[in-house]
Amino acid sequence: MFIKDILSISPQDTYNNHNYWYNVKTYIGNKLSCIEPSYDGIIKPSQLRRMGKALRMGIGCGLPLLDKHGKVDGIIIGTSEGGLEDCIKFLNQIVDYDEGTLTPTNFMQSTPNALSGHLALITGNTNYNITHVNKGLSFENALIDAQMLLQDGSANVLLVGSVEEISDYNYNIEQSANQYKKVECRSNELIHSNTEGTVCGEGAVMFVLSSQPENGSICIKDVDAITFPEESELLDLCKNMLRRNGIVTNDIDGVIVGLNGDIRTDHWYTNFISSLFSDQTIYTYKNLVGEYPTSASFAVKLAHDILKNNMICPEIIFKNSNRAQKNILIYNHFKGVQHSLILISDINSSNESL
Amino acid sequence: MNKEILKQELKAHLVSYLNILEYKPEEIADDMPLFGTGLELDSIDSLELIVMLEREYGLKITNPADGRKILVNIESMADFIIANKK
Repeated sequence: MFIKDILSISPQDTYNNHNYWYNVKTYIGNKLSCIEPSYDGIIKPSQLRRMGKALRMGIGCGLPLLDKHGKVDGIIIGTSEGGLEDCIKFLNQIVDYDEGTLTPTNFMQSTPNALSGHLALITGNTNYNITHVNKGLSFENALIDAQMLLQDGSANVLLVGSVEEISDYNYNIEQSANQYKKVECRSNELIHSNTEGTVCGEGAVMFVLSSQPENGSICIKDVDAITFPEESELLDLCKNMLRRNGIVTNDIDGVIVGLNGDIRTDHWYTNFISSLFSDQTIYTYKNLVGEYPTSASFAVKLAHDILKNNMICPEIIFKNSNRAQKNILIYNHFKGVQHSLILISDINSSNESL
Repeated sequence: MNKEILKQELKAHLVSYLNILEYKPEEIADDMPLFGTGLELDSIDSLELIVMLEREYGLKITNPADGRKILVNIESMADFIIANKK
């Protein structure tokens, strides 16, 4: 499947700014919050006032793409939490008001599928509409869904994306569970922080994916995932993915890994690199956007920007090989439990057809 | 109950409960229509207003026909509260 277009809101200035890597923002502390654009002219004020952050970021990315590319054959969203802040507000109201009369807004705006539903309602799209809610593999499952639809000819063009927001409630729960760092950390030192815990991020990324390539389009060639693997099973998963795509490890030029500065789980990445990809350029991205369950979507955007726009900034280089970039593999895991691999290629560099 | 103070309070609740972005409380006129024209609220907002009256003033609107008369503007809402609040 081929990437026709992307729009993203992230802790970096990525919305409508193709040169965000010239000015990478550094954060201090455990929360990397999104730089939200003005939604004037994108979302009506009467709708915007009801929306939580996740919903407005998702609409803010998805709606302009749908306006630009016309009717798509399906809207596929991956989100682990949906509008978590509004969800917990609603649950708290049940307790605070003793199960009395409740307002509907917080509930109906916070369900994970509120985003895909809103996008469909606003654009009058009655085609395939689904939301994948599978924690750290939500976005990957959305991609696999899209890949199957595009490959079997059920769809030609799809809107696929992910959204996640930082909720104070959830942050506090995860902090109590030692998910985040106890000592203050600068985001540009995150990867080498060598302490327990990571930093919390959020973001929305929307892709228009097509079954047909266009001039200069980047290809998502394969997606695979595994839960609770042994290290050898992960390596086998990777080798099998490369084999079925007719390439070997040496054909991979760059690997984007989800290193997040948590010494308890970063060994997955370092072992993966040293086992299979010791000669490749290694990129990181969680020092830009933080850790969240659907962060792999930002890695896909990053791979696209590296391959299509030659976006290379020192902040994302973990190890440089000076290889020309044609094939990039993304390896990410969430809490060491859910692992995923995404293979992305610039098919234009070899006139390869897929 | 001082009606002028009540109306100012109602405007603040209106903006807060409905998260109205276009108006500040002091910019809402007492006779500005809530639905149709004016604030251009919708059916979901009417549910929010019913919940607001119950939570803030302990008043329930059980008959939908009453709601149409009460939720006209700030003036009519204030009249309803003064007439029914014990």
